[in-house]
Amino acid sequence: MKVKLENLSKRWGKVVGADHINLDINDGEFVAFLGPSGCGKTTTLLMVAGIYKPTEGNIWFDNQVVNYMTPKDRNIGMVFQSYALYPHMNVFQNISYPLKLKKVPKNDMRERAQRVADMMGIGHLMDRRPAQLSGGQQQRVALGRALVKEPQLLLFDEPLSNLDARLRLSMRGEIKRLVIELGITAIYVTHDQVEAMTMADRIAVMKEGKLQAYDPPDELYDQPRTLFVAGFVGNPPMNFLEVEVSRKNGDYHAHREKFDAIVPTEQGEKTAGKGNVIMGIRPEDITISDEGVGGEIYVVEPLGRDDLVTVQIGEAIVHVLADPVLGLKMGQNVTLDFSTHKVQFFDPQTEKSLLWAE
Amino acid sequence: MTLRKRFGRAVPYVLLIITVLPVIVGYFWLILSSFSISTEGLRSTGFTLSNWSFLRGSPFGRGYPSIWKVTLNTFVVAIGMTIAVIVVSSLAGYALSRLNFPGRKSFLSLTLILHAFPSVTLLIGIYFVLRTLKLYNTVLGVGLVMIGFELPFGIWLMKGFFDNVSWDMERAAMIDGASRLRVWGEIILPTIKPGIAALAIFAFISGWNAWLIPKTFTIGAGQQATLSVYLENFRGDTVAVQWGAVTAVGLFQLIPVAIFFIFTQDLLLSIYAGGAKGGT
Amino acid sequence: MSLASRLKRGGAPPLFPTHSKGGMPSIGDRLRSRFGSYGFLAPAAVLVTLFFFIPVVIILVLSFSDLDAANFGTLQWWLPENWSLDNYAKIFNNKFFPKILGNTAFYVVSTLTLFNFSSALIIALLTTHVERRTGFFFRVLWLLPRLTPSVIYIMMWQRIAARAPHGILNQLLVPLGIGTGGNLLQASPWPFVILVNGMIGASFGMVIFTSAIEAIPRDYMMASKVDGASTLQTIRYVILPAIKWPILFVITYQTLSLLTSFEQIMLLTDGGPGLYHTEVWALTAYHRALSNYFGNNQWGYGAAWAVILVIIGVIAASIYMRVFKFDELVEEPKIDLL
Repeated sequence: MKVKLENLSKRWGKVVGADHINLDINDGEFVAFLGPSGCGKTTTLLMVAGIYKPTEGNIWFDNQVVNYMTPKDRNIGMVFQSYALYPHMNVFQNISYPLKLKKVPKNDMRERAQRVADMMGIGHLMDRRPAQLSGGQQQRVALGRALVKEPQLLLFDEPLSNLDARLRLSMRGEIKRLVIELGITAIYVTHDQVEAMTMADRIAVMKEGKLQAYDPPDELYDQPRTLFVAGFVGNPPMNFLEVEVSRKNGDYHAHREKFDAIVPTEQGEKTAGKGNVIMGIRPEDITISDEGVGGEIYVVEPLGRDDLVTVQIGEAIVHVLADPVLGLKMGQNVTLDFSTHKVQFFDPQTEKSLLWAE
Repeated sequence: MTLRKRFGRAVPYVLLIITVLPVIVGYFWLILSSFSISTEGLRSTGFTLSNWSFLRGSPFGRGYPSIWKVTLNTFVVAIGMTIAVIVVSSLAGYALSRLNFPGRKSFLSLTLILHAFPSVTLLIGIYFVLRTLKLYNTVLGVGLVMIGFELPFGIWLMKGFFDNVSWDMERAAMIDGASRLRVWGEIILPTIKPGIAALAIFAFISGWNAWLIPKTFTIGAGQQATLSVYLENFRGDTVAVQWGAVTAVGLFQLIPVAIFFIFTQDLLLSIYAGGAKGGT
Repeated sequence: MSLASRLKRGGAPPLFPTHSKGGMPSIGDRLRSRFGSYGFLAPAAVLVTLFFFIPVVIILVLSFSDLDAANFGTLQWWLPENWSLDNYAKIFNNKFFPKILGNTAFYVVSTLTLFNFSSALIIALLTTHVERRTGFFFRVLWLLPRLTPSVIYIMMWQRIAARAPHGILNQLLVPLGIGTGGNLLQASPWPFVILVNGMIGASFGMVIFTSAIEAIPRDYMMASKVDGASTLQTIRYVILPAIKWPILFVITYQTLSLLTSFEQIMLLTDGGPGLYHTEVWALTAYHRALSNYFGNNQWGYGAAWAVILVIIGVIAASIYMRVFKFDELVEEPKIDLL
């Protein structure tokens, strides 16, 4: 099923939950809503679910506006962060509750609930109460309950954030596989950019109720359209430096106090002569080399695979991922090479990218 | 440990014991008297079981309703009131906690004001309401008034419990296809069982113990009497009081209260923090 | 077999139900949603109207009329032409009015200061000071007067105060040569009236103070101990300032409760012994209008006594709501539809 949000807004008095959201979701597509807490992603999801009524705008399911359709008529399944299992019902009663409400005949109900439970690997736990299950098992029951009525749209509200790190990793893979195999359109709300990047076909990044970007993960990473997206996606986050770009001897240079780096021509052409701009560069794209910009190491934090090195260049602080074999030490002087094609530039006023125009 | 220190330690206990002494003495006398021919101070003049003969007929002779009829009246009032208070308060508490409708805030503050409002001052007005509804001198009338009086507390208590139920669970049930009424009955109510238990105990005890309202709205110790009213008629100084029988009936009335007192102490302490009203 | 086909049982995907509704809410839907919300409230609203609102109005109207047992059925007390302020004049001209007013003030002030506040605070301090289980045990004991049916509770007190040889106090006092051995309720009713009500009333403050004291962060108590404060200093400088709102709440709430309560007094002394010795305002209203002993029920006159209490109750209750900011407990619902 296709979903389309058209100018969708939700306000409570002066409080704005979602602000004129526009996006399309294709049939069978897996879309993530990504953003910090309070950005409106859950509000938007709850409008899609029919729990909240939009203040303005429309929600389309295929060719139909569903703004005032009750959740039960929308044929959706939803998985919550808290799982929201019914504590007084056992696993079978939890999974079959949607069928019971649909007045599905007893035998049919038992069979369908069992099939879904088996598929989720919890078929042997049917008599247990939620409190007797582990977090992972509860999550599977919640998934089973969402799937049992064969929904056309699956909604996930931070479903993995209550699981421990290891389980989160394996459930992440399982959910992705399940959604792809079932071919159901899915919306997945998360504040964890790794979850969004690994699972979704497209990611809608939101901030303060507004849609910031709506792109496939690789584009979001390599061609961030706003300063916020650039800073929010990627870990450790992108470095930002206020610079001025100008042309010298045929090359483009980005310079500021105690800082002068060559910028690739493609980027240079779009930013030269625009006064102060914000240069963004990811820690993994900066290399420690023999020549470049000099600075002093402020602190070194080993991450295992890499060392996260904080370097002070004049007033500015830059994070660099470096190979541990270099054995960098606090207080040491290093030179950094900033010349990469992945360098980003943003307008400091509009915070929009100067490279990837709308 | 020095004597002084030891003394200092004992002070709180001594104070606590002295202050509760009247209650202990009162209960001791009640039990003693019910098994005694008569009592002088805390001394029994002789042991007897005859005070308990009321269980096989009217304790105070013919012409008075049997203890079982009176117990049944009391039980009907207390249980009926308990059920009604729970149903009505949990419906209203749910609406006030969870539903969005014009007037919600005003109804909530009204509930709060009524909760603090001394309802006993309204008895005169209620007398006329009951007469108009032809419910004066009926168990139903008495029951309705007591339900009404418990409601502000009940609604407030239930609202508090509903406030703590996860919104996600309710949303999940609605997405599963349940109506709001079904969500209330099948999903939310079962998860606030402790709250319902608390309200049930509170409502039952106040219904079972009630004296002023049944006394005011029923006539004398007739067929409509509840235990408290019935007992009070044999307490006065005008008739020669059969203290043995009266205390035995009193102990009989205390049975359910004692059961709650012994087994649900934690709950009682917390209920009466919010529930103490009217009276003192 | 793939997961998808297992779930969908090989059939075509279920068609999305084509409803006509969706774009706009139908009038029926809106009505159902409105009606639904009020449906939940309806039973409560009916009972509250029947037993709170209507009685308030009735009392107010009655207080202007001269309705009593003699003219009941003939006097159209609800018609304004039968209204006057005579009842109020009668209250103030009653020669026992100063006595009743004084009784009420004495009863409320002394019960409140001795028991509902002081004893409550002392018990709360003591029971939180001693070992946990013991403290709990004593607090539960203090609940007994409240849990005991008032008729039985008063019976116990009457027996405690009864004349020798039956009275329990006299069993102690007479051998010591104190008193005459007569009924102590006759000789000095006020101490008993205050004790009886106070023993019930103290548990309210006790429970509230206890939970407030237990909510004080342990660090504060520790810090005060480390600073070398004595127990009394800890109470004075740490505990009391921390529970000043609960104290204010208990005092105001209990003042109103005491002002309007009369059940225990009615059972214990019924306002006696003799004329109006322990008669308080609320009991007067009841006696005038509803007591069968007087035979001649003066509903109008009794209502006038009650009206004054009702007005005090309404004003006090609404002030609490503002002072204690109870309206901040209202939270926005997190589901839009019914």
